[in-house]
Order: sequence, then C-alpha cells, then structure tokens
Amino acid sequence: MFKNLLRKDVMFCVALGVNANNADEWLKYVDAQIRGDRSQSEMVMTIETPNWSRTLEIESDVEGKSQALSTINSPAKEKGIRTLRIDNNMWNYFPKLKRKVAVSSSMLLASWMGSDFTNDDILKASSMSEDYHHKFMPDETLNGVKYRVIENKSKSDAKVMWPKIVTYASTQDCLPRFYKYYDKENKLKRTLSFDDIKTFDGHKFPVSWVMKPEDDNTKKTSILYKNIKFNVKFKSDHFSQKNLTDK
Amino acid sequence: MKYLLPLLILISLNSEAKVESELSGNLEVQGRHAWNNPEAKDVFQNWDEADFYLAYGNLNGKLEFDNSRLEANWFARRSHSNLYKNDYLATRIYNFPNSLVARNLFKLEYKDQDRNGLTESVLNKVFYEWDYKEHRIAFGRMYVNYGIGEIFNPINPFNQPTGLTSIQQVAQGSDGLSFTYFANDKHTIHFYALGDKNTENYQNKFTKTLWVHGEYEVSDKLQINYVLGEDQRRAKAGGQVSYQGEEAMYFGQLLYQTAYLDNKASSNLWDALLGYDRQLSSKWHMRFEGGYQKRNEYAALGFGSRFLPTEYFAALALVDEIHPLVKLTGTFINDIKSGFTYFIAKSTFSLGQNIEADIFGYTPITKGDAVDNPAQKLVTTDLGVALRAFF
Repeated sequence: MFKNLLRKDVMFCVALGVNANNADEWLKYVDAQIRGDRSQSEMVMTIETPNWSRTLEIESDVEGKSQALSTINSPAKEKGIRTLRIDNNMWNYFPKLKRKVAVSSSMLLASWMGSDFTNDDILKASSMSEDYHHKFMPDETLNGVKYRVIENKSKSDAKVMWPKIVTYASTQDCLPRFYKYYDKENKLKRTLSFDDIKTFDGHKFPVSWVMKPEDDNTKKTSILYKNIKFNVKFKSDHFSQKNLTDK
Repeated sequence: MKYLLPLLILISLNSEAKVESELSGNLEVQGRHAWNNPEAKDVFQNWDEADFYLAYGNLNGKLEFDNSRLEANWFARRSHSNLYKNDYLATRIYNFPNSLVARNLFKLEYKDQDRNGLTESVLNKVFYEWDYKEHRIAFGRMYVNYGIGEIFNPINPFNQPTGLTSIQQVAQGSDGLSFTYFANDKHTIHFYALGDKNTENYQNKFTKTLWVHGEYEVSDKLQINYVLGEDQRRAKAGGQVSYQGEEAMYFGQLLYQTAYLDNKASSNLWDALLGYDRQLSSKWHMRFEGGYQKRNEYAALGFGSRFLPTEYFAALALVDEIHPLVKLTGTFINDIKSGFTYFIAKSTFSLGQNIEADIFGYTPITKGDAVDNPAQKLVTTDLGVALRAFF
C-alpha cells in the first residue's frame, strides 16, 4: 500500500481524494464525477458509416440509477420522442400520435436509434460502481500513454448487459479514457473512448464520447455534450407519466 | 367547434407567459402492384392484377402557453387505382385505417370517391389541453391512444392498431372531452365523454361514449390497465396486464362487450390477447401476439371494420436492425382455426436525416379453409415501395 501511495503517477488521484489502492473507491470517484446523483444534459449524437452519417440532438435527465427521461429534439423525423425509465419500467412516448407504449425492460439491450449506444447507455440504468466488482490489473501503455487498468466484473445479482468491462483510467485525473466491453464469451465487442475533459458544476466530465463496435471498424457513434448540469433539482413529478405526456 | 380556434387564439394572446409554437409534418408516397387472390372472385372481386398509388401527409401544429396547449393535425390523402372503377374491396385494405375519425361529431372532413380514386382531407386532431396540478383537461378532437397491442389492441376502441398496415403515420381522432387525474406516481385515471354521429348522415342522433381508462403500477414489475364504460351502444369492460420478466415482457388483454343496450339485434362480444416481447440482442427484437375475437354475426364479414379477419390468431414479428441505415421486419400471422397464414415483409432504409424508404411485400402463404372467413379471400399479394419525408 505504502509503495503504491508513493507512486508518482497516482499521486494526483490521491490528492483528489481517491484511494489509489482500492479499485472500488476509484470507480466510486469516477461515478461521482461522471454520473453524479443527478444530471441534466444536452448532447449531439452522430452516427457515422463510411458513406453516411446522421445527427440527433438529445436531452437527457437522470436521477440516481432508477429514473431517467430522454427527449429527442432533432431531426424532425424523431423530434419529440421521449423515453421514461422508472426502475424496471420503460415507456416510449410518440407525441405526434399521442401514443405512450410500455416497452420491455429487455429493450435496454437494444441499439438506441440505430446507434452503437444502447438504451442502457442513454438511460443510465446500470452503475459501474454499484453493479460490478472491481480489480486492478497491471498498468498498460497505449499510444505512449500509461493507463491504470481496472477490471469490472458484474455482480451475480446485477441486471447488466455486459458481464465484463475493462476501464483504462488516466493517472493524471483518475478519469477513464476507455471502456472495453466484453460479452459472455469474453470477446471484446465494443470500445468507448472519452476525450476533452471539462468541469461542470465541480464535476470533471468528458464532453466527447466515441463508441466503436469491434465487429465493424468502419462504424462509430460520437456523442458531444453541449452542456451538462449536476446541481439541477428536478420537480417531484419530473419522472412521471404526466411529465412524459405533457408535450 | 367553430368558436374553439378564435377562443384559444384569444387566450394565447392574453397569456403573459411565453408562447411556443411548432409546425411539423410528413409526406409519403406509395406505389404497389397487387395480384388478386384467385378465390376472391367467389366474393365478386373480379380482377387479376392492379396498381395502387397513394399519397398522404400530415401537417401538425402546436401552440404551448402557460400550462396549456393547442394542437391540430390536418391529414390528407389521395389514392389512385383502376380498382376504384368497380369499388373493389382491396382498396380498403390498402387504405387502412379507412376512417380517420373514430368518434365523429364535428365532421371537419372532405371525402370524394370517383372512378379513379379517393380524395380525403380531414382535420383529425384539434384540441385544447390544460394542466392544473395533478389534473389535465382536454376538449375538441383528440387522439385517444393507449394499449400495448401492436397487431391487436382490443382495450382501445378509439384507435386501430397499425402494426400490419402500410400506413404508419396516422392516428384516429375522437370528438369530446377528456379529464385525466394523476392520482399518484402509481395510478392515473382518464375519463372520456365522446360522441359519434353516423358518418353518412349527420342528421342522425349521436351515440355517446362514457369511458374510464386507468393505469395502475402494482409493483415495479407488474402494471395493470382497466377500461370500463359505454361506447357505441354497448357496455364494455376489460383490462390489460403487463409483467416485466428478467428478459422479456409478458402481457395480456381482455375486453367484454354486451349486446346493444337499445335492444337492436346483436350479440355480446369477447376479445382477448396474449403477448410476449423480447429484445434478443442489440439488433434483434421479437414480439408474439396471440388473440381471440368473437365473431360478430351482425357485422360485415364477421369482423366489421377490423383489419384482422380472424377469430383465433397467432402472430410473430421479428425485427433486425442490420445496419444503422436498414431495418428488416418479418411478420407471420396465422389463423389457428382456418389455417390461413399471412406474411408481411418490410425493409426500411434511412436515406437522409428526414427521409426514409420502405420496400414491402404482403402475401398469403397458406390458404386455409376460408368457408367461415370469406374476408380472407380478399387478401391479395402485394409488392410495393414507399418514400416518406418528415419536416
């Protein structure tokens, strides 16, 4: 422990209050920074293939692990479509048809609007710090940059879609730069990379997210956060049927 | 109704709050080639092959101010085919839903059928809605749209499911009042008072609908919906149960309808639905719906205006998002009693931010015994394309 505390490369994390020897504590710090207790964000998602790209503008409100509401603001084709998640229950609302549809919670697995992100990613149904066991792995150097590597294996009672995720965290600010997602066969399926760390309401947050599937290296989906607020206070009925259908 | 719009504009002008407006819509053109079912000639549908063209669009306007909103939608379509010369019934399948207003007091529509086609223009939504604390009140022509069934959704008599049809961007309006009470996080109750006149003759008296629809969350896995009321001269009661399992959602509906309350010759009716919905992977989705609808001996071909001319059915829909650009859907529907099986294939291509195209095919794959279900003889084999744009 003493040896680790003296490691120069993790001293910055220690200064931030992260227990650099405890992977659980490290991931708690990451969750506290990136998820917070609640957040309200505006983002632009771009789905790219070699011959085509598509851009969506989204608003996402999240409170804890159990409540989330997302709204698509553009393009016109999907404008106004909202998804509400409360615990295990999810509803899609199509305002032009005034239709609210309960959807299977297994839809958390589904690709979100044809992107490389899933509903689970957008609606933040799982929490890295709460749903996974964490273990340090040997540090790795990628493209000349050294990363602290943490293996996250899902807890037996956790309802998550990825049994194993490997975090590559910066030793400078302790925040992840890559997440590598593995399936049940321990096969790498996709990689999420973070860039451009900025500070919002005291939270260090990567505003650029890029998800690349491993089975098709010509595709990727990027999310650029235009804004995120962590000190937001939602009305008591914000995550409710009434609010879902008031547009 | 004619005073509604000026009144609402006045309200909005006097409102000190910020007024937000929005205009949106879509335009779609379809063309299909159809091959007639050889047995259709038994029911006087004497044609072999035909082309059918359709153009339709929605123009949706919304004004929001304070805690209230005004919404309107204009729907127009033109269908064109030689089949209109003899008023063949297949056009009604291609144009489903044929009625754009389910409970119609105010008309607000134009319809003209000639030997070449059908032109329709209807204001199928125009309502004012006001939120006050845990209450919501709406009046005018509104969409009453609920229920989990995509192929069969018996607990909602005010909107036909369009899961099997080629016209997707449509909802049916209903005229009247609605009051919603958001009792708590778990329980919402909607009350409707709607009216309907005979669409062919507006001098007739209207029939009333008094309807309650409740949504109750029993637990984080179990939700129930209940419906109760009088609608189109029948008393109706029923409900929906949906259960979120570990990997899938299970659901069911039941609706009972009495015989006509005014003693006109009729019988009671039962509808039931069982379903299973599961996301198999990030790209594959499946849904099963199995159902029963009691044959209505007093309705045209046994099932009136419903899209499914079957008594017992089982349907399986599989969706594969093979590419961000392309979604494939295959749906099989089997009439368990007659053996008739119908297959619908559809591929949807995103051509741009707001433009998409469909290639679709409909075909019966097993004939079955259509003695009891002559409507099944009307089912044609079609191959078509659609192009739609949103703004």
